[in-house]
Amino acid sequence: MRLKQPIIAIAAVSAFTLAACGGDGTGSGTGSGNDDQPDTSEGGNTGQTQDPDREGPVTIEGAAEGGTVTVISTSGLNTMDPTEAYYQNTTSILTGLVTRAWTQYAYDEENNTMVLVPDLATDLGRPNDDFTEWTFTLRDGITYEDGTPVEPEDFAFSAARSFDREAFPEGPAFSNDYFVGGDTYKGPYTGNGLKGFDAVEINGMDVTYKMATPFPDMLYWASFAAMGPIQEGADSDPEKYRLKPLATGPYKFGKYVPEKSLELVRNPEWDPATDPARTAYPDKYEFDLQVEEAQLNQILLEDSADDQATLTYDDVLAVNFDQFKADGRAAVGSFPLTSFWAPDYTKITDIKIRQALAYAYPYEDADLAGGYIEGVTSLPGAQLLPPGTAGRKDFNPLPDHEPGSTDTDAAMALLEEADAVGYEVKFLYTKDSDSGVKVKDAIVASLTKAGFSPKPVPTTIADFSSLRADPDTDINVRSGGWIADWPSGGSWFPPLLKSTDVAAGVLGANYSKFNEPEIDAQMKEIQTLPVEEQADAWGELDDTIMTDYFPLFVTRYGGVAQAYGSAIEGHFIDNTIGMPTWKNIWVNS
Amino acid sequence: MSSGLSVDELDGPEGGGEAERMDDATPKTSQVAGRSPTRIALSRLAKDKVAVVCAGILLLLVLLAVMAPFICDWLNIYPDQKDPDAPTPSEMLETGGIPSFGPPNYPFTWDHPLGIEPASGRDNLALLLYGLRTSLTVAVAATVVSVVVGVTLGLLAGYAKGVVDAVLSFVIDFFLSFPFILGALALAPIITSRFGGDQDTLRRAELYSLIGILVLFGWMGLARLIRGQVLSLREREFVQAAQVIGVPTWQILFKELLPNLVAPIVVAVSLSVPAYVAAEAGLSYLGIGLTESPSLGKTVDSATVWFQRYPLYLWAPVVTIMIMVIALNLVGDSIRDAFDPKTRR
Repeated sequence: MRLKQPIIAIAAVSAFTLAACGGDGTGSGTGSGNDDQPDTSEGGNTGQTQDPDREGPVTIEGAAEGGTVTVISTSGLNTMDPTEAYYQNTTSILTGLVTRAWTQYAYDEENNTMVLVPDLATDLGRPNDDFTEWTFTLRDGITYEDGTPVEPEDFAFSAARSFDREAFPEGPAFSNDYFVGGDTYKGPYTGNGLKGFDAVEINGMDVTYKMATPFPDMLYWASFAAMGPIQEGADSDPEKYRLKPLATGPYKFGKYVPEKSLELVRNPEWDPATDPARTAYPDKYEFDLQVEEAQLNQILLEDSADDQATLTYDDVLAVNFDQFKADGRAAVGSFPLTSFWAPDYTKITDIKIRQALAYAYPYEDADLAGGYIEGVTSLPGAQLLPPGTAGRKDFNPLPDHEPGSTDTDAAMALLEEADAVGYEVKFLYTKDSDSGVKVKDAIVASLTKAGFSPKPVPTTIADFSSLRADPDTDINVRSGGWIADWPSGGSWFPPLLKSTDVAAGVLGANYSKFNEPEIDAQMKEIQTLPVEEQADAWGELDDTIMTDYFPLFVTRYGGVAQAYGSAIEGHFIDNTIGMPTWKNIWVNS
Repeated sequence: MSSGLSVDELDGPEGGGEAERMDDATPKTSQVAGRSPTRIALSRLAKDKVAVVCAGILLLLVLLAVMAPFICDWLNIYPDQKDPDAPTPSEMLETGGIPSFGPPNYPFTWDHPLGIEPASGRDNLALLLYGLRTSLTVAVAATVVSVVVGVTLGLLAGYAKGVVDAVLSFVIDFFLSFPFILGALALAPIITSRFGGDQDTLRRAELYSLIGILVLFGWMGLARLIRGQVLSLREREFVQAAQVIGVPTWQILFKELLPNLVAPIVVAVSLSVPAYVAAEAGLSYLGIGLTESPSLGKTVDSATVWFQRYPLYLWAPVVTIMIMVIALNLVGDSIRDAFDPKTRR
């Protein structure tokens, strides 16, 4: 999943999430999506709770209808075509308010977690024994905003559409990775219509997806806007549909100026009785985009009468966070993002030096310099799997190292042991971003204290990701981040740590150039395990990799700190994606 | 500049002007010894209160900039974290990047008279002093180079006539028509990618290229001015006389013409320094100036989002730039007036 705006390191990484998945012909793993156990640890549950029987309509006690919600953000909306919506903001706005798919997430206020519930399907899908076929049954009486009924065929068309990497280069590529024909069918626009597409079978109201690779996580993929119904025809032409996707949810597109503003108005065709999670209390949503960051903070801080029904899904400036919290107008939550430093496994071959880096990294200083709020938008940790992932194991590969703390003396001791005092550490930083330069200064200071010779290599925001992705760039540490699309270890280890053919110039997202055939074999083995054993196996693998090889270390887990005006109710954090719980929002007049 | 004149007007320019003229007249009667136009101008300048005060302020600023390392040592403050004794951000800041000492949340402390920079924990006074240093270095260097280039090309174009003049005039017009900000925007990333290998190289490359960019788009005004002056001087008797008795061209240019151009050059210099100070701050604010050296413009950029909570952080560099630019402008105005009393209204 991608962050809202492609500005910083992390955003660029998540673009790679996708690239890595797309290029991964063997299909990145599976893992248990069926663990019903709610995780209450710090950082929250990232959405593995499920409730296949939930029914609509949903009402919120005390909520009043009416009002206009204004949403302000510094970033524009990328494409709003459901098939291509793969940024945090586009995908969350579409699935929360505009388009419906087979499944969806509902916010559980009691446990502060997201629950996977049915949407247009009558249940959460029915897999066959080896997860190579999934069947969803369409509810009766669902219509588009223009009154035409939603047909099962529309799901076949949207599935075909989701194959089209050329028409939708930025969209998620899970269909290509798992579905039958993923390697041959090119999509309805690039290929020859639906000819050659046989991944979907329709039987009355039942729609069956056929996989080439076992896909236990299909029920999560079925919650993406890309898997919702899309009518075949001229209206769904990519050029046209990105400007006006047909609504099945409670709101439809009004006036839309791409990258600038979007108006969502009520969709009278939406029937709350068929929807187990959405409510639609506000009359209207108005998105005001590309607002200056300082101005955005100011509007929300002042909370003047005109702006009380305003909210943002951007993180507020660290300096203002206390104020929002004191006013009770901050929405705080986590989402499955792990940021890490990946020493080059082929260049820094001594594990002691890699461990020394983890001791020497200025976690706290980097947070301050980068504008992160400790404990809110930055959480410490040692495991690659962020809190809330099924099967995550509690371990510490460096028993003497408190995660998130810096110990330059211990780093120095390790360096002396490895006879590598003065070891040169070359890493990229963006010289045209103020925080990038400040973080670099903090890192240089701390590494120098620990006995390294840091050599920061300047680059620009625009060039950062391509330089990092080039295996030949003269650096020996890469910083990166990874956001999971659903809570399963299979979306973490294969893309990040499976051996890549570095000689051929393929780095993918394996930033450490980690290359251990034994670990490759273990990953493969885990993917063939019975589904219920996979989650714990991934957790164990996390331990093995980090303890025995230490190819990377976690610099922070992600979190969000958003703010809303005093008239907004129900703005919680959807911790599967780090966005507001659109389905719960209402205006308090 | 009209701002300079309005201050003069408060002091009663007419009276001042009269007095000066009388002063000029008096010594001539008692003492026949000639005085060069420059000396006359300097004596006029010395009697201009605004000029004296502004020159004093500038002298102070220059001293502060020159002495920056000593002042920082003395106050035990650091502009960056390169020194092992420099405090780390976490020692100076609370969660959210707000300083743990001094404003905005705590009372004033002499340890950090202008407070601490949020997010980096550096001392604001140290940043200001080193920023001042950068500003003045860039402005002075750019001025010197652009004056040399401008005067040389102006002299050549004005004196040469014919093809050389046409070509040089075309070049001047060409550069004048080129948009400055666009040029700077385009050049900045090229320089980064060319010299991006190493931090120190980059720092120097940035500094030199910034000076280069300022010169590239700053020499034409003076060149045109000089060319115009030379065109009229060229036809004067003393130049023709020199030509007739076979004085070499370079000597005519530098011995005969140049001394007569001191006034416009001094005026151009005094007015271009503040323009360069402002341009450096502006470019650094836009992120296409300096990134590796402390810069007032860069601090202004970082400070804008903190203004609500921590106004001192923004005020310090803004007020410094303002005082420096106003003082330089007023001194420049006064110099122009001193060299050419007729412009005085």
